[in-house]
Amino acid sequence: MTPLDWTRHPPALTPGYFSSLTRSPREGLIPLDPTEAELTGPVFGTQDIGEMDADLIHNAASPDAMAIGPRILVHGRVLDETGRGVPDALLEIWQANAGGRYRHARDGYLAPLDPDFSGFGRVLTDEDGGYRFDTVMPGAYPFPNGPNAWRPAHIHFSVFGWAFAQRLVTQMYFEGDPMIRHCPIVATLPSAEAVDALTARYDPDHDRPMDARAFRFDIVLRGRRATPMET
Amino acid sequence: MNVSRPQTPSQTAGPFLHIGMIPSTNTLIQPLPPGEPITLHGTIFDAEAAPVTDALIEMWHPEAGWVRSATDGEGAWQLAATRPATAPFVNLWIIARGINTPLQTRLYFPDTDWQSDPAMAHIPEARHATLVASQATTGAYRLDIRLGGEAETVFFDLKGEDT
Ligand SMILES: [Fe+2]
Repeated sequence: MTPLDWTRHPPALTPGYFSSLTRSPREGLIPLDPTEAELTGPVFGTQDIGEMDADLIHNAASPDAMAIGPRILVHGRVLDETGRGVPDALLEIWQANAGGRYRHARDGYLAPLDPDFSGFGRVLTDEDGGYRFDTVMPGAYPFPNGPNAWRPAHIHFSVFGWAFAQRLVTQMYFEGDPMIRHCPIVATLPSAEAVDALTARYDPDHDRPMDARAFRFDIVLRGRRATPMET
Repeated sequence: MNVSRPQTPSQTAGPFLHIGMIPSTNTLIQPLPPGEPITLHGTIFDAEAAPVTDALIEMWHPEAGWVRSATDGEGAWQLAATRPATAPFVNLWIIARGINTPLQTRLYFPDTDWQSDPAMAHIPEARHATLVASQATTGAYRLDIRLGGEAETVFFDLKGEDT
């Protein structure tokens, strides 16, 4: 296992993102040598994926209805740090609807709910680490962080690899979105390269013509899957 | 190691993580390893001792079991688990709005030889207690987690061979 790369991940305390002020340990993290417990984890599989989980356009819609918003597909690969695909990685995704509203009791934003969209998805990577899901482009939304703060369009990702040490939670942004450079949460990232790594690229080669635009987002988990060949 | 691809950065899970991680249907379930059934519970507090009501905690059992719980309106979490046979602890993983990179800690069982666990050697003795659960009733272990302030919980940075 490789160490967590702190040139890539945001530190706990980022004063520009107000919520971090009271939720950031100050004592410094204690270095821990991994044991078997951190190098293994649960095994998820197709039994954990519902038939419609990777189709957010339909999975909460009434029969014959669809979610409202620009139709997109998001695809990519989950990789280890050597660039090898991670098969059977479980991705949990959630997002706001096209108007920037979450289907959540605590979201009081003005924009309306879409009765045919829940914003929940789940997908398992294939043998090459590939994944794909269909959804609608989420809207930007405001959040309480000073007089005027907005989130760029984004999709939340929770990722399980093969070990506790690889557990990842992140957000995917969209290429060309002018809101990215104004967002206090994006600004917690330690470098422009880190922001770039979370920015999905428009990928016309994978569009479904006359149907949906494609965006590509690769995810790199820490570490490397051992093989019997390695010395 | 021939590292060619840099790690994908973390971002906060935000306040609405329940949509993706605690969906109303289709709950993720993993079998627990065999062992004495136990309950783990506690409250997550922020640096001002206010309960954290929008967190998610995952328990990673040393024998590959896994369960998760969202905190409730009082910041309380509760997990059904089994007692590990191979380690004096379970790993805990915590996310919430305001947590930029997930926090990793452990719950040690008070009725074990936790003092001799190798991790303790790296932790100032005054902070050991933040990791050791108390046993209120048989099989029910309580650990409160403090993200900051007085008696801040010990959080770990998992290392690896840097080769
Ligand atoms: Fe969000």
